[in-house]
Amino acid sequence: MIALLAITDDAAPPPPPVRAVRSGGLSALCAPAVEHEVTPDALWRHEELLEELMRERAILPVRYGTLVEDDDAAARAVAERRDEFAQGLERVRGAVELALRVEQREPEPPAADVVSGRDYLRAKAARMRTARRLHERFAALARAGEVQPGRELLRAAYLVDRDAVAGFVALVERVGREHTELALLCTGPWPPYSFAEGER
Amino acid sequence: MSANAIAQREVALVDLIDRLLAGGVVIEGHITLSVADVDLIYVGLRALITSVATAEEKRMLPQIGDSLARSAP
Amino acid sequence: MRDKILASPLDLDPFARDERRLGEALSRRVNADPESVERGLAQLVLTIVELLRQLMERQALRRIDGGGLSDEQVERLGTTFMELDRRMAELREQFGLTAEDLNLDLGPLGRLL
Repeated sequence: MIALLAITDDAAPPPPPVRAVRSGGLSALCAPAVEHEVTPDALWRHEELLEELMRERAILPVRYGTLVEDDDAAARAVAERRDEFAQGLERVRGAVELALRVEQREPEPPAADVVSGRDYLRAKAARMRTARRLHERFAALARAGEVQPGRELLRAAYLVDRDAVAGFVALVERVGREHTELALLCTGPWPPYSFAEGER
Repeated sequence: MSANAIAQREVALVDLIDRLLAGGVVIEGHITLSVADVDLIYVGLRALITSVATAEEKRMLPQIGDSLARSAP
Repeated sequence: MRDKILASPLDLDPFARDERRLGEALSRRVNADPESVERGLAQLVLTIVELLRQLMERQALRRIDGGGLSDEQVERLGTTFMELDRRMAELREQFGLTAEDLNLDLGPLGRLL
């Protein structure tokens, strides 16, 4: 079994232990599959490898832990969705993923018996609108943005041009200063995990 | 390590896990983290629920809200 | 230490999770005692229910925004969701789970919410 790390259209040989299995213009970037416990350290090592690969080429990261039988299986997996992957690589080329989480500093008051159904929904709707407005501000600086489900006020991923990252971070800081009632956390740059797959 | 450094490591790890284990290209039909059958079940559910959430975000599931509204008098 | 934080508040509490529990969530040790298997299953089921609850709530809000529902229907939707929310909290308590537990731990395959 070999581990499938990422898909690329770059022809340059990857650094060992990564190997490129070519398949019609694209390559599956693979490494030997080593049985291991899934610990934070293992995840960070994997992440560092992907970031190294990403420095020199556009990649679509593959879900962690994906194993295939052999090189032929890797080549087949790429060939099966070649057009989708080629488009995906175009979509992410020159960009990185930034993660954003926004929380309200004051916790929401617990639902009391006296709160009407309408008030409950009204509060939720206000929360949704705030989240949507925030998302639109950030998405304006990104190639693409995706709101993700979660308990936070807003949890989202943004595909940002490499040279737009500083501006994006500055916006996060600015919004934080404007809205002292909110706490904003931005991490990255990450490989484009949330933008690796095409439209479903 | 200071308390803040620990917190920083935690929050970065949360975002890493979100991405590494729940993002990226999914090669269907291949074994992922091959151990017990229970892991495969988790993968299936995760893929299903991600598609539901994404489709809902793109307003492709009007029937969820509709049926709720219809059930009200 | 991997420095991935680009911007953050001084107090990271709203965003941090217990790293030890994260480590446990990632661990592939199979815990076979019946109590934790049952708890694990409850956690899985409740996580799915919670996700559906969140999705339905958002869907209902969009529906209300779109118009066409009477005040009575809106009120009933609201109380239904409030009740669901309360019921979820009860179920979580029954199984000794926190809201964070439902946000976490589907074994090595990561978070659902």
